[in-house]
Amino acid sequence: MVAAMLCIVVPAVAAPPTFTVGWSVYAGWNPYFYMAKSGILKRWADKYGIVIKVQRFDYAASLDAFVGKNIDACTMTNMEALDMPAAAGVDSTALIVGDYSNGNDAVLARNNLTLAQLPGKRIMLVQKTVSEYLLERAMDLNGFNGQISQLRLMNTSDSDLVGAFLGNQSNQVAVTWKPLVSQILAQGGNVKPLFDSSKIPGEILDLLVVRTEVLQRPDGSGAKFAKAITGAWYETVAQLAGGPGAEQVISGSAAASGDSVSSYKEQLRTTFLFSTPKSAAQFSESPTLKQKMDLVRQFCFRHQLLGQNIASVDDVGIRYPDGTVQGKENHVRLRIDSSYMRMAEQGRL
Amino acid sequence: MMAIPGAAQIADIQAKPRRLWTQSLSWVLFLIGIFTYLQFSVARHKENPEDRVIPSGTQLWQGIKASVLQPAEEDDALDPSANTFERVTHSMIWKDTVSSSRRFFIAILLLIPAVLIGLHMAVFPYAEALFLRFVLFFDKIVALSLLPILFIVFGIDEWSKIMLMVIGVGPTLMLDTYNIARSVPREQIVKAFTLKSSNFDVAYRVILKQIMPQIINSVRLNLKPLALFLFAGEMIASTDGLAYRIAIMRRHMGMDIIIPYLLWVAVLLFGMDALLRVANRRLHPWF
Amino acid sequence: MVLAVGVLDGEIVEVSKRRPVEISLREVSVSYPLSPSGRKTVLSELNLEIEAGEFVAVLGETGCGKSTLLRLILGQELPSTGSIIVDGKPVTRIDSRRGYVPQKYSLFPDRTMIENAMFGPENAHCGWLGRLRPSFRAFKRKLRAEAERQLLCMGLCTADLNKYPHQLSGGMQQRVAIAQALMMKPPVLLMDEAFSALDPSTRASLQQQLREIWQETRPTVLFVTHNTSEALLLGTRLIVLAPHRENRPGGNVILDMSLPQSGDTISVRKQSREFMELREHVKRHAYGNSSSSGEYRRVQEIRERGDSPECK
Repeated sequence: MVAAMLCIVVPAVAAPPTFTVGWSVYAGWNPYFYMAKSGILKRWADKYGIVIKVQRFDYAASLDAFVGKNIDACTMTNMEALDMPAAAGVDSTALIVGDYSNGNDAVLARNNLTLAQLPGKRIMLVQKTVSEYLLERAMDLNGFNGQISQLRLMNTSDSDLVGAFLGNQSNQVAVTWKPLVSQILAQGGNVKPLFDSSKIPGEILDLLVVRTEVLQRPDGSGAKFAKAITGAWYETVAQLAGGPGAEQVISGSAAASGDSVSSYKEQLRTTFLFSTPKSAAQFSESPTLKQKMDLVRQFCFRHQLLGQNIASVDDVGIRYPDGTVQGKENHVRLRIDSSYMRMAEQGRL
Repeated sequence: MMAIPGAAQIADIQAKPRRLWTQSLSWVLFLIGIFTYLQFSVARHKENPEDRVIPSGTQLWQGIKASVLQPAEEDDALDPSANTFERVTHSMIWKDTVSSSRRFFIAILLLIPAVLIGLHMAVFPYAEALFLRFVLFFDKIVALSLLPILFIVFGIDEWSKIMLMVIGVGPTLMLDTYNIARSVPREQIVKAFTLKSSNFDVAYRVILKQIMPQIINSVRLNLKPLALFLFAGEMIASTDGLAYRIAIMRRHMGMDIIIPYLLWVAVLLFGMDALLRVANRRLHPWF
Repeated sequence: MVLAVGVLDGEIVEVSKRRPVEISLREVSVSYPLSPSGRKTVLSELNLEIEAGEFVAVLGETGCGKSTLLRLILGQELPSTGSIIVDGKPVTRIDSRRGYVPQKYSLFPDRTMIENAMFGPENAHCGWLGRLRPSFRAFKRKLRAEAERQLLCMGLCTADLNKYPHQLSGGMQQRVAIAQALMMKPPVLLMDEAFSALDPSTRASLQQQLREIWQETRPTVLFVTHNTSEALLLGTRLIVLAPHRENRPGGNVILDMSLPQSGDTISVRKQSREFMELREHVKRHAYGNSSSSGEYRRVQEIRERGDSPECK
């Protein structure tokens, strides 16, 4: 917070231009660690004559750093891309649509509770994140929309959630993500998943987001950065998804979070990776994306995540690759840019 | 405002500044702080009018109004015809203040036995033999690391947070009371026994009575660690409370709420400290 | 100075005749282990018989064990060997049968002067529950009147009664300390360098007051001091102690003599030739000879008429 408050915009100084990418521990983002460690990233950066640094953060801290302009790009979900930078007025562009959560996030409950019985029970989750979104979608899709306001949510930090949930039988419901979900289920007992993100495919996206002003730098270094990072990403992901050297990539990525290889593979299983640039670009240009983003932005607006005093959901506009805008034209804050993904597909990187 | 003090005077221990100067100087740092903040805020807003990291004056004012007049988002909306008093008592900041304060004061009540144990440790040799070494060791256990155990034992609701405060601050109070009670001159204890006091007379009517003002000062100093533990507990797992709201607001950069909350907590603690100071002076004019 | 009424067993009574109380120490020694090895002996094989009503002044340099002696009789310390018998009963703990006036810190800082004086009798009257009874109020009123009278007798003025100890001078505090002890009418009074922290004129005035009080009620007094004149002016008997030395017979006591009494006030006696000769005698035999073998002496004759005592 202090860093954010004392931040001063520093223009890229001295050649070669340096860019920092922040990442945090998650199945779809761990490959950034491997990318940097194995030298893939350096190769691509050297190709364009720039330097790219990769820095690990706690998730919330990475968002703070991004909004505070201390880092140039950051891995985040589509929901955070809307809440934090966009809503705080930092124009951001999603460069890479990496994957979506396909079961990585789940609602867990003890004692054979059903969704209908959830209102009134205390639910442990990290509030104002995709966990809360998942829960609401779970209620919504099963017809319990009217009872969402009766849910008793207890904001529990992810580092303590597993211990607290398992340690006390009176904690009956938790919403969280893998590997925490796996840890809880592994303890056996009577905990079952009630709902998970595979039932809402495409709604919880994992993106690489860069500040639009960095991307649009007049000297073109921002564009170089975009190309380099996109190229490095797809090279890594191609190996991860089953190309040669997959084991190396997997173990390297697992090491990023200290996970075992089997645990990491388990997380990958429930992550829908856009392993080819084609699939990623297609998805980002499809109308499905717009539908999903609309659901997300309505959620954010309802929960005042777009800002305490934002009058309407349209005050944070989202621009899509085909030029359409959800929201006010003159208030575009989040852009989905598929051009670099297309370039990767066409081998023009 | 007669002569402005010269450089020699400002660096002089024997200086006797005039009252006007002491009063005005004490506000200077506040003003510098506010001014610096506003500079940063204006700079950031110039390049990004919707910036929320360093909110401007208007944003802060709106944040204050929202906390004081609007209910928390998990609560139901108010009846629009409610008067100001009802709006305030249903507001977000009221709800959070009440729940945080409740935990705070229950913890303080539970700390009274800590003071008594410290007193007994100082006065009764067997109590000292039993407790001292253990308390000295237990004091060094970082209370925050006990939190997972507390969650298991006390559940995740109120009691684990209250016990975190008690375990965190208790040993400090015990040891402080012990040292303060031991500094009562031995002669008084001997004298009290010759004046037909029983053991409890000596412990309570002689020693506790005269160390009360120092105990209250010790509690004043421990208000900050107490608040720290409360905040740690609330930020980790809670449904309401001042620190809970700050943790939630952080998720979407709601500095326009966080900063008023911070200042409000500072005001509350300052007020409590002042209250204790005044009470101490009133109750113990001899100190 | 009349203290004909006092508080006995918690009630304010007329005190007619003081019950005589004697102190005796038998084969008392005090020693404690030193690290890494060895023992430090403070008192060794002390045998002392003090008769009821004696005013014993104990003199000695630092480390001679005079404070230890006082603490033994008080009950604050236990001897390594031997026993201390007061009034026929052995001493095991500090209790109200022996009054105590230390050099300082004797008053409770959170109570006013008069509350300090009332402390003892209040305790003696009833326990915690008894304070709730309405009869306690009546008792407190009587007690307050009595305490006020005694403090005024000691030399405080009315304005000072409701002040706190830190607001008054050292001399006033010691006066109240003495009154505080005496309110309990203790049969034995132990004073540990009670006047050593006072300036000479206050000291002289308090010495005179103490003498007069003592003559009224005659408690057995053990008065520890390092001031020779004070010891000689106040006491009926003088004991001089010296630090323990291995090969000295008689242990710590190097002088034990009766002192001549006189009806004059202290200020008069101080000027008398007799007094000055006595002081020289004591200093020569006690302090001058502390490096020699130091024989145990006892002067039996008591001269009422003012002859100088014979030594040897």
